[in-house]
Amino acid sequence: MAAGSPYLRVSYAETNRIFPEPYQRVVVTAALVALLAVPFFGSGYLLHLMNLTFLAVIGAVGLNLLTGYCGQVSLGHASFMAIGAFVTAILTNLYAAPFWLAVPASCIIGAAVGFVVGLPALRFRGIYLAITTLAMHYAIIFILTTYQAKFGSSATAGISIPAPVIGSWQIEGGRSWYYVLLLTGVATVLFGLNLSRSYVGRAWVAIRDRDIAAASVGINVTRFKLLAFVTSAALAALAGSLGAYFSGVVTVEAYTLELAILYLAMIIVGGMGSIAGSVLGAVFMTLLPFWIEHGFDMLPPNWRLGSTSYGLQEAAIGIVIILFLLFEPKGLIEIYRRIALYFERWPFRYRELSPAERR
Amino acid sequence: MELLVSIIVLGTTYALLAAGIVIVYKASRVVNFAHGELAIVGAYVFYSVAIMMPGHSLPLTIAVTAIVSVIFGVIVYFALMRSLLGQPTFVAAMVTIGVAIIFKAAIVVVWQSKSVGVNLGRQILYTYPGGGRLTAVDLITVIAGVLFFAAMFGFFGYTRLGRQFRGAAENPLLASQRQVNVNLILALAWGTAVFAASLAGVLFGSRSMLSPQSTIIGLSGLTAALVGGLDSLRGAIIGGMLVATATFITARLIDPALSEAVPFAILLVVMCWRPWGLFGTPEELNRV
Repeated sequence: MAAGSPYLRVSYAETNRIFPEPYQRVVVTAALVALLAVPFFGSGYLLHLMNLTFLAVIGAVGLNLLTGYCGQVSLGHASFMAIGAFVTAILTNLYAAPFWLAVPASCIIGAAVGFVVGLPALRFRGIYLAITTLAMHYAIIFILTTYQAKFGSSATAGISIPAPVIGSWQIEGGRSWYYVLLLTGVATVLFGLNLSRSYVGRAWVAIRDRDIAAASVGINVTRFKLLAFVTSAALAALAGSLGAYFSGVVTVEAYTLELAILYLAMIIVGGMGSIAGSVLGAVFMTLLPFWIEHGFDMLPPNWRLGSTSYGLQEAAIGIVIILFLLFEPKGLIEIYRRIALYFERWPFRYRELSPAERR
Repeated sequence: MELLVSIIVLGTTYALLAAGIVIVYKASRVVNFAHGELAIVGAYVFYSVAIMMPGHSLPLTIAVTAIVSVIFGVIVYFALMRSLLGQPTFVAAMVTIGVAIIFKAAIVVVWQSKSVGVNLGRQILYTYPGGGRLTAVDLITVIAGVLFFAAMFGFFGYTRLGRQFRGAAENPLLASQRQVNVNLILALAWGTAVFAASLAGVLFGSRSMLSPQSTIIGLSGLTAALVGGLDSLRGAIIGGMLVATATFITARLIDPALSEAVPFAILLVVMCWRPWGLFGTPEELNRV
């Protein structure tokens, strides 16, 4: 280890570390300990919110691997989650499959669907791909709606799922779910971080930046694009499957296009092409409706008109997407990076050159 | 005969929707995912204006709605799209999705998701032997569609501004060096597109009730635009008619429930077979 400047890296292993700075390791350890301790003093409401956030983190990391790293826009993520949820519902209800079998099976089926949805990506880029995944979304949801109407307990009630059991431990209630989801969330984040710095992640970034150049340096574009879709869909199906267990009921109405857009909003707000960004975005977008709700509670009663609060929660997603794309396109993580850079360089000032100055 | 009229009426509505998407795409290479929302908000504006106008005067309502929708379009361009020029198409498309969400929420906030209908005239002009009816709305729809497309073809083909528009669509940089006001052209494109959307929305709302869920017609419009080719106004008409035909034939001959699936089924087929559409330019794919 070279002494002297903390920015001096003398090996690739050092630059590739997940947390290169010592303070980052301290902060992350402290955060993990704090997260483990939350159930001992947090209220049930807080635990519920955090559980929702962990579910969102799993889905957002998956989408960011596909859209942020590999550059393939997907509007079909809600349908992947629906696939995960429905496979879980079918397996538990029809075959009485245990938790440890139903969840991986949902991931595998989700991955298979992701493979099929990813096939058009071999032909299209950008907006055409987005339109294709949009059509795929409607097709999958249409099939599931038909299934639900035929085999569900009733056309609207959806399919209920019993609480999962591992060994003799029944996962029920906010606290036990908290640990299951925290574990899965942390595992997903670690998986994403490791994948993104491996040759797979580097191949994805190369394809995102210029697929022709990537192909010419020997990256198998077909394989890696499909791999991105498969990985991403598997993670989305994981989130869908766990979410189905968590809520105890599966209805196709929960998996709208708005949900897919919400996940896109998460990675835009958090930061495209950054795992930490997906976590930040997932936290932000999950808590946003609750903040608006609280803000509304503070208003005088006669201002709270009927469904205005609900409408504003919806509108907030759109407003946040637009504001971030216009003013902070690299997301919340870029704000963090700027602040971190300021303190790292302190007392020296460092300013990024504008494109005009860089020329 | 009755089926044919229904197809033409629905097809005109889809073609108008597709025309708005095509005009914006042609001018700025932005696929507008907010089109269905803009259409339904336009219809809701029409409904509100009709209530406010003295004596519910129809011409006045139409004029006010048209002006409001053109202003909407121009605002969307200057407030959002202008600063996104030259950015990746994905960013612009995401912004239109954001616009879509805001407009859909506006229906909830402003109109409280009320289910309303627009009255353009429900007089029965003719009753078919089978019992079906030809109403005034059907006639108005077709006339409005023909007028709009005639105006568009005339504008693009024979006016100075229309020729400048096509020039700016082909190469904005060269056009601006030849004294073409590209900003004006793009604002005009958005204004026209939102006007077409509102027109389609009002015509749609005069035959079925409006609700936030009606915004799904944007998908039919997008399908129609893609079938015809995203950069072809001619294609919008053909695409609209084809989508309407497929929807009606599925509903009549196979299963009404399946007809909901028709737009995205066509979308998938077109994307696999001819992604640039019937009349579009194949090179388009390399630019996106």
